Amino acid sequence: MESNKNFVLGVFNDEDVLLDGVQKIKGGGVNIHEVFTPFPVHGLDHVLGYKRSKLPIAAFLFGLTGTILAITMQVGMMTVDWPMIIGGKDYLPVPTFVPVTFELTVLLTAFGMVGTFLVVADLKPWAKPKIFDIRQTDDKHIVAIDLADNEKDKAELELILKNSGAEEVKDKKFD
Amino acid sequence: MKKQKTYWKGIEELTKSPEYLKYAEKEFPDYLPIKEGKMKQDDNSDASRRDFLKMMGFGIAAASLAACEAPVRKAIPYLNKPVEVDPGIPNYYASTFYDGGNFASVVVKTREGRPIKIEGNKLSNFTRGTKTPQAESSVLSLYDKQRFKNPLKGGDKISWEDLDKEVKAGLASAASVKLVSNTIISPTTLKAIEEFKAAYPNAEHIQYDPVSADGILTANEATCGKRMIPSYDFSKAEVIVSFGADFLGTWLTPGVFAHQYGQTRKLNKNSKMSRHYQFESNLSMTGANADYRQGIKPSQEGLYVATLYNLIASKTGKPQLSISSVESSEHLKKAANDLISARGKSLVVSGSNDSNIQAIVNAINDALSNYGKTIDTDTPVHLKQGSDKAMSSFVNQAKAGRVGAVIFFNCNPVYDYAGGSELKEAISTIGLSISTSDRPDETNTIVEYIAPDHHYLESWGDAQPAKGHFSLSQPTITPIFNSRAASFNLLAWSGSNVEDYFTYLKSHWEEKMYPAVSGFPNFQTFWDKSLYDGVFELKNQPSEESEDSEAVAFSFNSGAISSAISNSYSLDGSGIELALYEKVGIGSGAQANNPWLQELPDPITKATWDNYLTISQKMAGEMGIDFKESNTKTVTLSHSGQSVEVPVLVQPGQAEGTVGLAIGYGRTNAGKVADGVGVDASVFVQVKDGIRHWFASEGVSVEPTGNPYRIAQTQTHQTYMGRDFVIQETVLSEFQKNPSAGRHSPHIATWTSEKGYKSPGDITLWNGHKYNNHHWGLAIDMNSCIGCSNCSIACSAENNIPVVGKEEVLNRREMHWIRIDRYYSSSGDTEDKSISGLRELEKAADNPEVTFQPMMCQHCNNAPCETVCPVAATTHSSEGLNQMTYNRCIGTRYCANNCPYKVRRFNWFKYHDNDQFDKNSAMNNDLGKMVLNPDVTVRARGVMEKCTLCVQRIQAGKLKAKLEKRRPVDGDINTACAEACPTDAILFGDMNDPKSALSEHLGIVQEEKRKGVKNPRAFHVLEELSVSPNVYYLTKVRNKDLEDTEA
Amino acid sequence: MEITAPVEKATDHSHEPVTASVRKPLVTGGKTIHDVTKDICGPVEAAPPKTWLLAMGLSSTVLLVGLYALLMTLWEGIGMWGLNKTVGWAWDITNFVWWVGIGHAGTLISAVLLLFRQKWRTSINRAAEAMTIFAVICAAVFPVIHMGRPWLGFYWALPLPNTFGSLWLNFNSPLLWDVFAISTYFSVSLVFWYIGLVPDFATIRDRAKNKISKLIYGGLSLGWSGGAKNWERYESVSLILAGIATPLVLSVHTIVSFDFATSVIPGWHTTIFPPYFVAGAIFSGFAMVLTLMLVTRRIYKLEDYITIHHIELMNIIIIVTGSVVGIAYITEFFIAAYSGVEAEQYAFTNRMTGPYWWAYWSMMTCNVISPQLFWFKKIRTSIAATFIISIIVNIGMWFERFVIIVTSLHRDFLPSSWAMFTPTLYDIGVYLFTFGFFFTAYFLFAKFFPVINMAEVKAVLKSTSSKE
Repeated sequence: MESNKNFVLGVFNDEDVLLDGVQKIKGGGVNIHEVFTPFPVHGLDHVLGYKRSKLPIAAFLFGLTGTILAITMQVGMMTVDWPMIIGGKDYLPVPTFVPVTFELTVLLTAFGMVGTFLVVADLKPWAKPKIFDIRQTDDKHIVAIDLADNEKDKAELELILKNSGAEEVKDKKFD
Repeated sequence: MKKQKTYWKGIEELTKSPEYLKYAEKEFPDYLPIKEGKMKQDDNSDASRRDFLKMMGFGIAAASLAACEAPVRKAIPYLNKPVEVDPGIPNYYASTFYDGGNFASVVVKTREGRPIKIEGNKLSNFTRGTKTPQAESSVLSLYDKQRFKNPLKGGDKISWEDLDKEVKAGLASAASVKLVSNTIISPTTLKAIEEFKAAYPNAEHIQYDPVSADGILTANEATCGKRMIPSYDFSKAEVIVSFGADFLGTWLTPGVFAHQYGQTRKLNKNSKMSRHYQFESNLSMTGANADYRQGIKPSQEGLYVATLYNLIASKTGKPQLSISSVESSEHLKKAANDLISARGKSLVVSGSNDSNIQAIVNAINDALSNYGKTIDTDTPVHLKQGSDKAMSSFVNQAKAGRVGAVIFFNCNPVYDYAGGSELKEAISTIGLSISTSDRPDETNTIVEYIAPDHHYLESWGDAQPAKGHFSLSQPTITPIFNSRAASFNLLAWSGSNVEDYFTYLKSHWEEKMYPAVSGFPNFQTFWDKSLYDGVFELKNQPSEESEDSEAVAFSFNSGAISSAISNSYSLDGSGIELALYEKVGIGSGAQANNPWLQELPDPITKATWDNYLTISQKMAGEMGIDFKESNTKTVTLSHSGQSVEVPVLVQPGQAEGTVGLAIGYGRTNAGKVADGVGVDASVFVQVKDGIRHWFASEGVSVEPTGNPYRIAQTQTHQTYMGRDFVIQETVLSEFQKNPSAGRHSPHIATWTSEKGYKSPGDITLWNGHKYNNHHWGLAIDMNSCIGCSNCSIACSAENNIPVVGKEEVLNRREMHWIRIDRYYSSSGDTEDKSISGLRELEKAADNPEVTFQPMMCQHCNNAPCETVCPVAATTHSSEGLNQMTYNRCIGTRYCANNCPYKVRRFNWFKYHDNDQFDKNSAMNNDLGKMVLNPDVTVRARGVMEKCTLCVQRIQAGKLKAKLEKRRPVDGDINTACAEACPTDAILFGDMNDPKSALSEHLGIVQEEKRKGVKNPRAFHVLEELSVSPNVYYLTKVRNKDLEDTEA
Repeated sequence: MEITAPVEKATDHSHEPVTASVRKPLVTGGKTIHDVTKDICGPVEAAPPKTWLLAMGLSSTVLLVGLYALLMTLWEGIGMWGLNKTVGWAWDITNFVWWVGIGHAGTLISAVLLLFRQKWRTSINRAAEAMTIFAVICAAVFPVIHMGRPWLGFYWALPLPNTFGSLWLNFNSPLLWDVFAISTYFSVSLVFWYIGLVPDFATIRDRAKNKISKLIYGGLSLGWSGGAKNWERYESVSLILAGIATPLVLSVHTIVSFDFATSVIPGWHTTIFPPYFVAGAIFSGFAMVLTLMLVTRRIYKLEDYITIHHIELMNIIIIVTGSVVGIAYITEFFIAAYSGVEAEQYAFTNRMTGPYWWAYWSMMTCNVISPQLFWFKKIRTSIAATFIISIIVNIGMWFERFVIIVTSLHRDFLPSSWAMFTPTLYDIGVYLFTFGFFFTAYFLFAKFFPVINMAEVKAVLKSTSSKE
C-alpha cells in the first residue's frame, strides 16, 4: 500500500531481547510492520502471531503429481504405446518402474515447493528489497513499525521501542 | 529520300502505348514475380533487380547450405537394365575356385552384377558343397586394388598387341622355352598348352606345387603301377590313423575329407563313431580332433609307420620290414589292433613327402585290404600332380643359363619353391621371362613381361579335380582391369586364331565331353545344363592313358624300403627338429594379401597376423620364456646357414624336441596387407635329391634373443578350468551306456517347490513370451565341429565384418561375430577348486585333449543384454531373435558387459573410410567396397554389433516363400555359418516347425513357459543363468577307452 | 549494559536448549555475530590470497591437460581407452561411481544432520554441499563421454519423442534409472544449496562497496531482506527439502549399485550392493569433505569455525562407515563361498589371488585398515593424520570400484574371452580432467561464495560458542 513511506525502526542486537521486546510492543497495541533478522529467530513467528505456512501441503501435492506422472509415463511408453519383448520380461514390468517413480516424485516435490516458496516470498533476481537498516543482514534485528497504520504518533512509538529493549531507535523514510 | 527499315519488338512498340514506353528502357521486365511484393511500398524499379539479386543470393546460400548436409553418393542407374539383373535381388552362378592348391566347386552370389559371396556347390559329388577358407575369401581378392591394371613390360604399361608381338618374337628366337605352373587341372588349358608346345617344339611344361604330394605320386607308381593320388573315403573308415597328415585342415582336399570325417563323428542315428589316431610333431587341427594323439619327431616318422606295418604284417602274414621298431608307443600298438579288427573299414594316411613312407602306408592299407573300400584308385585325384624332380632340374638349368624363355603360368616359385632365392638370380639371366599372375608377387617383380590373367570370377574356365569329375567356371563380372585369360595368352602366342577363350572352351567341351554323354538333344542343352549346375560327372570316363582300369597287382619291395627307412630315420635323434606346416587360413601363402585370411584366428593357436615358432611347454621352461597374455620373446632359428628371428608361441601338444613354423608368411611383394607379416619359412624347406621335405631333423638351433614380442591372439586363456557348465564331454563307452553321459544339469534349491530342487528355467518372475509364428534356433554339434573356421570367414563375408588389424587384435578388439573357442584339457583335478587347484587348472596338459566350441550370440529368450540397454536398442523379435538396432545404439557397452557369453562386439573406432584401418580393404577403398553385402549395414563408430542369425537371409527366405504363397519350409533359409560348415556341425532351423531338421535333431517339445529338448546330448551353455538361449550344443564325445582318459 | 536482566528471562523463550555447558564449543575464539559476518565475508570481498592463486593456477592447468585427452577421445572414439571386448567398462565407470560416492557427503551432512539437529553441521555444510554439486558434475561427465555416440546419447537417454516413431526408453535398464537418479539428485542438491545461500548473499550484497558486486550479489540474493515471515517459510522449506533429500541420497547410490547388482556377471550380481555402496559413498564423501575442509580452513584461517571438534566428529563417522564397508567385503566372500556357484566363487578367489590382486589388497588396506587408526584419539584429533588418511581412504574407494568393475569383468563365465585391461594415457587424462574441473570449481566457489553458512552459524552461535 502507498502508505509504506515512514517507518520507525527499533534496532535490537540480541535475539532473546528481541523476542521479549516484540511481545512488549505488541502488548502496547502497536502494529509491527515486520521484523528483520540476520538469521532465523525461533519463536519470532509465534510472538508476531504468524500462521504456519502452507508450503508442506504444496510440497505434498507436487510430489503426488510426480508419482502419477512417472507411472503414466512409464506404463505409457513401455506397455501401451509400443510394447517390446525385453529380456523376456512382461510388457508391464512393474518392479522395474519403482526407481524412476521415486526419483520423479522427489524431483517434483523439491522444485514445486521451492518454486512456490519463491513466489509467495516474492523472491526474484530483479527484486528491489526494502532495506530498513543495512545491518539487518549482519548482526542487528530490526523491528519496523509503519506510522501509517498506527494511531500512536512517532514519539510514542519510539518510547515503546526504547522500553522494550531496542538499543537504538531511528526512523526511515522511503520515497 | 531513303526509307529506313524498322523492326518492332512487338505490337506495343508499334502502337507506342504509354505503359510500354514506361517500361521500355528497363532491363528487367517488371512482371518478374519478385516485383509484386515490392510494388506496394515504392515503385522504384531498381528495387526489383536488387530484390532479385538478394533472393538469388539467398537461393545460392540456401543451396550451398543444403549441399553441406550430406556428401553426394555415387549411384549410377542402369541405362538399359540387363535382363537377368533385378536391383535388390541376388543372382547365383555356379563356378569353380582353384588357386593351384585348393579346389572347390562353388556358387557365386552376385548383387547388381557384383560377386559378393562364395558358397559351396552342393551338386558336386566331389566337393559336396564344401570349400576351404581360401575359396570362401577369394571374392575379396577379386577387388584387390593391387591387381595389375594392364599388361606390363618392365613395369611400364604396354598394349596386348605389342606384348603379343614381342613375346612371339622372343619365344621364336628362344633356344628353350619353359612353361612353369602349379598343377593344372583344367582340361581346356591343358589342351591349350599342347597347342603351345606344338607351336614351340622346344617348349617344356613343368608342374610343381607349393606343397607337393610327390611322395604319394611316386609311391603309388611303385606300389600300384601308376603315378597318381587315389581318392580316399574317410566316411567309410571306422579307424583312422594319420601320420602328420592334416587331412582336415590342409592335406590334399581338406574340405572333402572334413565332410567325410564329419559323417563318422555324428552320433544321431547310431551310437557309433570312428576312432582316430594321430601321430605328428605340431599340434595340427586334425590332431586336435584325434581321439588318440602322440607327438613324434619328424625323424621318427618313418620308423613309426614301419613299426605299425610290422605289427599289422605279423597278423596278416605279410613280409616284415627289418627296422629298429618302436617299442615305447602304446598308442601304436592300440592303433594296430584297432586297424586289424577294422579291416577294409579303416584308413592310414601320411603327410610325408617321402615316397618310402608313403609306400609303407600303401602297404599297410593293402594289408588291411582297404583298397577298393576306403581307397579308390580308379578315380585318381588330379590335384598336386607336380613333380619335384622336374622343378629342381628346371631350377638347375635356369641357374646354368640353359633356359631361353620362361613363362610363369599363375605361379610364384621365387616365393613358394624351396630354391626360390637361387631361381630369383637365375631369372634375371633368362632372355624372355613372362608372368601371367594377376597381382604382384615375388616372381613377377623380376620378370620382363606381365600378362595379367583374369581373376577366376571374371573368366571362363573348367577343371577336372578328379577323374570323371568336371567343374566349370563362368564370369560373374566383366573384367575389372585390362586383363586376359592366361590360357588364351598361350593360344595367342602359339599363333592360333581363336577369337576368344570362351569359344575355345566351348568347342573343346563339344568335341571332348559331349560325345561321351547321352540323353541330351544337342550340345547346347548339355552345355547349358553343365554350366547351370557348374559340375558335370562322367562315369567310366575313357581316359587318356591306354591301359588303365584293370587293377594292377600290389607290389611292395620290403627289402629296399627297410634299408631306405633305416638310413633316413632314427629313434634317438637328440637335437631340436623343425617341422614346417601350413596354416588353415593362409595355406601356402598364395592369398596372403587377403585380410580376411590374415585376421582369421588359427584354429589351434588362435593367433592372427603372424607366424611363429611353436615350442613345447617343456622347452619354453628351459628357455625361460613365459608366454602370458600374448606376450612372448623372439628367438633366432637357424639351420644350415639360414637364420631368422621369429617369435615363440608355447604350444601344448608340441612333440618334445620339435619346433613348428608355418609357411606362407614373410611375403615381400604381395601387397599392403601381407608384406612384412611373419617370416618366410620356405628357406628351411629341405631338398634331398630333388625331393622337398618340410622338416629339418639335424643342425637346427634355437637361440633366445630376449627381444619382447606380442602375438595377436583372440584367445589367451587355454583351459576351460574344469567348468562343466561350459564344456560338457564324455567318452563313447559311457555315452553308449547312458546317452546323457557328461551332461551337467544344474538344480537350484527353492523352498517353494515341493521337491526342493528346480531347474533354473522353472524359476522366474515373469510369464514369458510365446513365439507363435517362427522360433529360430541353432544346434551345434561339438562332436563334429573340427574347428576349421570356415564359418568365421563365411560370417565375415556375409555380414560385412570389419578387419581391425594386428594392433587392435592385440587390444582384444577383433570383430568376428562367430568365434571358435578352443580349450585344452588340463592335467589338474577338475574338481579341486582351491586356489592352488585353480592355478593347476589354468595350465594346459603337455599333450592335451582339445575341444572346439563355436560361440556366437546365443539369442537368449531372457537376454541379459536387452534388459540393460537404456535406449532399447537391443530387443527381442517375435521370432526369438535377439536383434540389434544400430541406428538407436548409443554405445554404453552395458549389453556387452552383461553378456555372459561375451559375444558382443563394439566399434571402438571408425573402421570404414579410415586410413588408419587401410588393411580393412573391404571398407576403405571404392574397389574393395564392391564386396560389401548390400543387405547388411556397415556399422558406424561407437555402436554395438553381434551375430544376427543372418536375419537378412531369414527375411529373404520368408519373402521368397511369401511370393510363392507358402510358409518357409526347412531348407529355405540357412545362416552363412551353417552353410559353410563342411561337417554340418551347425544346424539352423525353425523350432516351431516340428518337421524341421532342427526340431527333430533336438527333439523340441513345447512346455508351457518355454521350449524343452528331448535329445539327451543337447544342452545350453551356462544353463544355470536361465537366460534360455535359442542356441543348443551337443556334448563332445571322445572315442577313447575309459582308462585312457586323463585329465 | 542494562539489557542483561531481560536476557536471563528471555532465555526461557529460546527454543534452542542451551547446551554449551555439556557439549564442546563449535565456534571458538569468542566470536560475536558481527565477527562471523566479517570473517566469512572478508575473503569474498578481499583480493584473493597468494595460496589461492597458486591452487587456482594448478587446478586449471590440470583441467586443460585433461581437456586434451577428453577431446581426443571424443574425436577418435572410445578406442583411445584401454577397453576391450571383455572389459567394456573400466576407468570410466570406476570414476563415475567414485565421484558420485564423493558427491554424497554434502547433501547427507546438511539434510540428515539438519533432521537430527546436529548443530556442528553448520560450519561445514555449505562447503560440503558445494563439493557435492561439483562432484556430481564430474561424475556426470563419464556416463556421457563413455558412450560410443555421446552426441546422440546425451538426449536419446531422455524420454523425448523422436524420429524413430514410437521408440521410447527401456525402463528396465539400471542405466536409465541412473539418468533419473543422478539428474534428480543433482538438481535437488543444487536447489538445496542455493536456498541456503540466499540469506548470505543478502549479507554480502548489503556489505558490498562497488556497483558490480552489489548488482551480482543483489541478483543472487533474490532480494532477500530477512523478514520474519520469510524466515518462517524458509525454515519449513529447508526442513522439507532435508526430509526428501535424505531418502534421495540413499536412493542415488542404491540405484548406481543396481548397475551391477541387477546384472548377471559374477562379482556384480550381488544383493548386498545397495547398503554397501551407500556406506561406501558416505565413507568416501566424508573423506573428501575432510580433505577440502582442511585446505580451506588453512587458506582462509577458519580454525575457529571448523574446529578440531568438527574434524573429530567426522573422523568418527569415517570409522563407522569404513567398518561397515569392511564387513560388506567379508560378507560378499561368505555369500560367494556359501552360494556354491562356481563362477561366483572363482570371481572372488580371482580378486584376491588373480592378476589384479594388487588392486584388491590396496583397497583392503586403504578402506578397512587405515580408518581403524581413528580409534586412537591422538590420530583422530591430529590435522596431519586426518588429512593423510582422508586421502588414503579416497584412493581406497577408487580401487574398490576398480576391483568391482574390472576384476569381475575380466574373468567371467567363458575362459575363452578372459582378458586383461591396461589403461592408456587417455584413460588417465580424462580422469585428470574431472580433477581439474572439480578443484577449479571448488576454489572459485571458495573465493566468491561464503564458504560457511553465516545465517546458520549465527543462529547457533549463542548456544555453542566459547568465550576464548
